Amino acid sequence: MSLGVAPSPAPGPIFQVEHLSLAYPGRRGQPPAQILTDVSVAVERGGALTLVGPSGSGKSSLLRCLNRLEEPTGGTVVFDGRAFTEWDPRELRRRAALVLQTPVLFEGTVRDNLSLRAMKVALDCSEGRLCETLAEVGLEAGVLDREAATLSGGEKQRVTIARALLRKPQALLLDEPTSALDPPNATLVVETVCRLRRARGLTVVVVTHSPELVRQLGGALLYLVKGRVQSYERLDGDPSGAIADQRLQAFLAGVHP
Amino acid sequence: MTSGVGSIDLSFWQLGLALLLVGVLVVISARQRLGLERDLAIGALRTLVQLYLVGLILAAVFSAAQWYWVLLILVVMAAIATHAAVSRLAKPIPGIFWIAATALTVSTAATLTYVIGVVVRPHPWWEPQYLIPIAGMILGNSMTSAALAGERLQGDLAARHDQVEARLALGFSGREAVQPLVRASLRAAMIPTVNGMMTVGLVQLPGMMTGQILAGASPLVAIRYQIVVVFMQGVATALGSLMFVRLATSRYLTPAHQLRRYLL
Repeated sequence: MSLGVAPSPAPGPIFQVEHLSLAYPGRRGQPPAQILTDVSVAVERGGALTLVGPSGSGKSSLLRCLNRLEEPTGGTVVFDGRAFTEWDPRELRRRAALVLQTPVLFEGTVRDNLSLRAMKVALDCSEGRLCETLAEVGLEAGVLDREAATLSGGEKQRVTIARALLRKPQALLLDEPTSALDPPNATLVVETVCRLRRARGLTVVVVTHSPELVRQLGGALLYLVKGRVQSYERLDGDPSGAIADQRLQAFLAGVHP
Repeated sequence: MTSGVGSIDLSFWQLGLALLLVGVLVVISARQRLGLERDLAIGALRTLVQLYLVGLILAAVFSAAQWYWVLLILVVMAAIATHAAVSRLAKPIPGIFWIAATALTVSTAATLTYVIGVVVRPHPWWEPQYLIPIAGMILGNSMTSAALAGERLQGDLAARHDQVEARLALGFSGREAVQPLVRASLRAAMIPTVNGMMTVGLVQLPGMMTGQILAGASPLVAIRYQIVVVFMQGVATALGSLMFVRLATSRYLTPAHQLRRYLL
């Protein structure tokens, strides 16, 4: 699949994950819980990576290591040429923006939610920019002054994507963005994400159970089982023909692994 | 049976009559099948034993009149208050005992220093008759407010951790990300005190004032002390909960602005 966009000029992949492992400390003398073991994967600039696997396989944890919401216990993540420990975590999270599974909107209007910012951080929240960003996720400017709580699930999810986009991220990390949505809304979110990748040259890493999203997004597929990489496939050309792993084939055919 | 200024010294016989009230409680519990008879009996016994012990110890400390005995009493009180404040938490937080001990000790010491050193000014400053009851009241308020704030903080972190992480993901610092939860916890801790200030003296005479009046003091002297106590308790509530919540949230956050989800 051709990307059609010339992204950032800096060389090398945008994410380089090497021998990553993650464990949670054990409670009261119990052994630590191993979440991820020796995961290595790279995501090129403007590329896409889909993380799939059974629940509890560490997909979301891997995603959360990419913007350092989780602290890996071993290995490293290089983002945009610098190891994750060299970034200010706050800066890293603005550049690699995470959108959570259940859209989190705070009390107030859509405008309040979009212009939410940390102290001492500049953010262009001009009317023009807000409307432009809403348009990118397929929402009308009219929603700006609506109470966020009154939006539908799909609208809420697209507002959280717009909120991430306003920070001009280089990568978008999506944690099951469609799983809380009904099929029509899920389709709208899938279209939004795929369009953003093409139009903005945005790198997209997504955890999903939606074969639809995987097919439309393209890029590569990482299959995790019990925190280990089971297989890695590139989805160039016709996916179902190129995939060797049977579970992945089944997944792309719409049968959940 | 009158002693000194005008209070009635209660005899053992009179205490026995008061114990009949517990008998009424037990009868009510038995007839309504509340199943509280055993607890009531234990509670009544503990009230007798604990208060008698405290009375004996305080009498000894008052007559010994040495600063180190006063200090020892304060340390024991602080340790018990700390234990009580953290024992209500639903889930253990690593290091929480020392966090609570620090919050209660510092907030109590600060309030106590001002009240004793600037407002009341007894001689010597460690005069147990003033220091121990006043420290006890301050500590009691700090303890309750720390427990309330801690309970609320823990509940909110469990219920609203996605909001905290959403803010972290938008590039907020850990401290900024938990700020709304911290605010809610502090409000929860302080509202009873603020409400108490609204109705003080109208619904119920405060314990200390009641005690002074029973002991024969003029109500006009008693209310002055009570006013100092109300303000002092307000400060103790705020300082205790603020320090406790600040220190406790730091256990949930890492220097890299992460939420330790495994503690939730």
